Amino acid sequence: MKLSENFALRQVAGTWVVMPLGDATLDFNGMMTLNDTGAFLWKALEQGSDKEALVAALTAEYAVDAERAATDVAEFITMLANAGCLVE
Amino acid sequence: MLCKIAELLVEVPEDAVDPVRFADYRLEGTGDPDIILDPTRYRPDLYPEGVSPEMLAYMETGRLFSVALLAHSGLHLHASAVELDGKAYLFSAPSGTGKSTHTRLWQQVFGQAAQVFNDDKPALRYVDGRWYAYGTPWCGKDGIHQNRKIPLAGICFLKQAKENRIRRLDAPEAMQKLLWQTIHRFRSVENMDRTLAQVDLLVREIPVFELENRPEPEAARLSYETMRRGAEEANL
Repeated sequence: MKLSENFALRQVAGTWVVMPLGDATLDFNGMMTLNDTGAFLWKALEQGSDKEALVAALTAEYAVDAERAATDVAEFITMLANAGCLVE
Repeated sequence: MLCKIAELLVEVPEDAVDPVRFADYRLEGTGDPDIILDPTRYRPDLYPEGVSPEMLAYMETGRLFSVALLAHSGLHLHASAVELDGKAYLFSAPSGTGKSTHTRLWQQVFGQAAQVFNDDKPALRYVDGRWYAYGTPWCGKDGIHQNRKIPLAGICFLKQAKENRIRRLDAPEAMQKLLWQTIHRFRSVENMDRTLAQVDLLVREIPVFELENRPEPEAARLSYETMRRGAEEANL
């Protein structure tokens, strides 16, 4: 599980935005915004975290139990996959 | 050919020279250009097959200028721009959803006092601590343009609807809509970050609205009254 190099996370006007980069994104048809938790998970992915590490990071950073964190991480990953943000 | 566009010296390739669109920007003599629009950087692959060389040159010089502008505290916005009382009001929307129609309504309602100074891609620049809108030769199919520099007072995104209604956008909404109507495909991180920095500064200083509207004079009165008040409150 790895983030595509065709996207970059940035904060603009107080909002986290996933920006498309490069020619591969010519069909990108909208802009994805993330909340603080989403941005936290994105940055963890950038650091090379796998699914288990994301769940651990989420429980450590936020007041959520492991089960809830696992659900949130799974949803987040599905969303990224659907948006074409993951390469493997 | 040397031109002055948005207070920048721009070297424009001869093949792009449309005598009508570029006439007001052309400079006699020589100078050290701030921006060189290099025809070897045209990207014909971005266009449908059979695009005319003139159209390609027009579109590609516009695209290259948009990118170059980023390094000069500037941004190219897809919008129809109208001046009234010395202030610039910009109306942006996807092609074919009524931005030109709306600025024509301003002219209908306010007469000669309202001047459309660019109908497709005005330039915005942050100069001496404030935002200005500039006419550019990239002005759309009707060729409406004036080479002017006008303090920017507001930006409004248009949406067709059954009733006229206007609302102020908060910073995140305004940012997303602005990004969508400027360059939003970046080949370099540097240009992306410049764009984001400019958009960030824009939404801090300039009131941004969304107007749901019907193509009728009442919509023009509503946008003007609301945007004028917004500008006054922002001391623009």
